[in-house]
Amino acid sequence: MPPPTERAEKQAAAQQAVDILHEIATILNCHLDRRTLSICISMIENGINPEALANVIKELRKQGQDVQLESAEAAAAAVAAAGTRRR
Amino acid sequence: MAFLAELGALTDDLLAAVSGSSSNVWPRREAAFRTLRNNNFPRTNQFEVAERLSGLEERFSVVGRDGLAEALRTRLAALEPHRNQYTPEVLHLLLELADQPALNSKLSD
Repeated sequence: MPPPTERAEKQAAAQQAVDILHEIATILNCHLDRRTLSICISMIENGINPEALANVIKELRKQGQDVQLESAEAAAAAVAAAGTRRR
Repeated sequence: MAFLAELGALTDDLLAAVSGSSSNVWPRREAAFRTLRNNNFPRTNQFEVAERLSGLEERFSVVGRDGLAEALRTRLAALEPHRNQYTPEVLHLLLELADQPALNSKLSD
């Protein structure tokens, strides 16, 4: 096991690399926060293909938008139904 | 086995970070897990990644976003000392997720 100072230096360098990659992600308008980017980096380091990972992220975002849309529609329908009952 | 456990935990983290919702999570987790383990995607070509990045840099300049081009150039240069075997793949991911940066990116972000 490397000595604590060496480990701390390695950790700081890794943090710095993630910071730079996060800045590049912002420049490319990837809509990734730092935490999500760190998870993605860990996945890639575990052998996950970046294109597969991008597909999963896009699909999850799409599903999230669909769920939001459904909730908004349900809320609008509930408001409309309440208005009809009042009349 | 340890790999699958690690990947499962990371998939859970990704689901929580990206979608943030807990409804209907199990089928989504399984679908995500299946896609992630799918090996049909081509391997990252580091030269193609470098070419796409320099193409983007050029495009930023062409559309008058010189500040953005300079910011990208500076960050890529700063990344050089930290480069490892996974750097091209992470940059490949960022290129796949890029959302019309020449139009929508803001330097203030």
